[in-house]
Amino acid sequence: MLIQVILVAIFAVALALTWKRASQGTVPRRDAFLWSSLWIGAAVLVLRPEVATLFAGMLGVGRGVDAVIYLSVIALFALVFRLFLRLEKMERDISSLVRTVSIAQRTEGRAQEKK
Amino acid sequence: MKIFAVIPNYNERGRIGAVVRDLLPRVHRVVVVDDGSSDGSAEEARAAGADVVVHVLNRGQGAALKTGTVLAVAEGADVVVHFDADGQHDPEAIPTLTTPILEGRADVVFGSRFLGVTSVGMPFSRRLLLAAARQFSGVVLGIPRTVTDPQSGMRAMTAAAAEEIDFAQDRMAHCSEILRNAYASELRCVEVPVQVRYTAETLAKGQKASDAFKIVWQLLLGAFQR
Repeated sequence: MLIQVILVAIFAVALALTWKRASQGTVPRRDAFLWSSLWIGAAVLVLRPEVATLFAGMLGVGRGVDAVIYLSVIALFALVFRLFLRLEKMERDISSLVRTVSIAQRTEGRAQEKK
Repeated sequence: MKIFAVIPNYNERGRIGAVVRDLLPRVHRVVVVDDGSSDGSAEEARAAGADVVVHVLNRGQGAALKTGTVLAVAEGADVVVHFDADGQHDPEAIPTLTTPILEGRADVVFGSRFLGVTSVGMPFSRRLLLAAARQFSGVVLGIPRTVTDPQSGMRAMTAAAAEEIDFAQDRMAHCSEILRNAYASELRCVEVPVQVRYTAETLAKGQKASDAFKIVWQLLLGAFQR
């Protein structure tokens, strides 16, 4: 089926890109392995949908598609939460920067007053 | 002992000047951290005699308090007092807050609205919310149940305690974080009764019931930060 060819091609490009970035050092190797397993897993599901049904049976979920949707939702939650954590870290870094600037400005202002 | 009052200020024109003037006779220095105000309140604080340090961006009450605390300790404060800019806190409470430290009985003193002195104009919903917050603080954060006010903004600490507590929550969750860090340390913590005056104006600008969820969320995110 055409859709299978398109999706597998997309996953192959994503896999290649992941390892290109890993070799450049922009993606940590641990993350690259995680992403790779995601791309390869997705490709396997596209080429052999019955694997999902097998997996669903193991989990106790009726249909393979359902199992994939449940797992996707969980994965999305985890990713969004990670994003929130990154944002929080960034917010704290900004506060730290603003603090440094405000204290430096004050020190500078005081030095000028003394002159 | 040098007592420095630290006041975070965000658009408190018309109130901050009076707060600074009320505090000045009671402390060695008043440090106002202007958190990116756009209403000229920084100038009002300066004119009233405060030492003003300016955040170029609004970073939240917790972040402003931390800047003021870091600065106060760096500039020789022995005791740092956290105080609100909106006039809700009673300046008469300064000796109540600092005496346990000056007498060497405590390292950190928290002002509590629930120790016998009745706050003026506290809505019933706020009282209920704070009771729930107290349960949350006990179960989730491990703050002792003996702590009567989980969201008190009025507190005093020694310079050494201020350095040890080292809070990082930028927004409203700093109250819980400071309490937790203080009680988790070896520092001697006590609560003293203080009075808070709520007015329609301060209630409109202050924390809302929905902020409780934000605080819980901020604490959750904070728990995962290194």
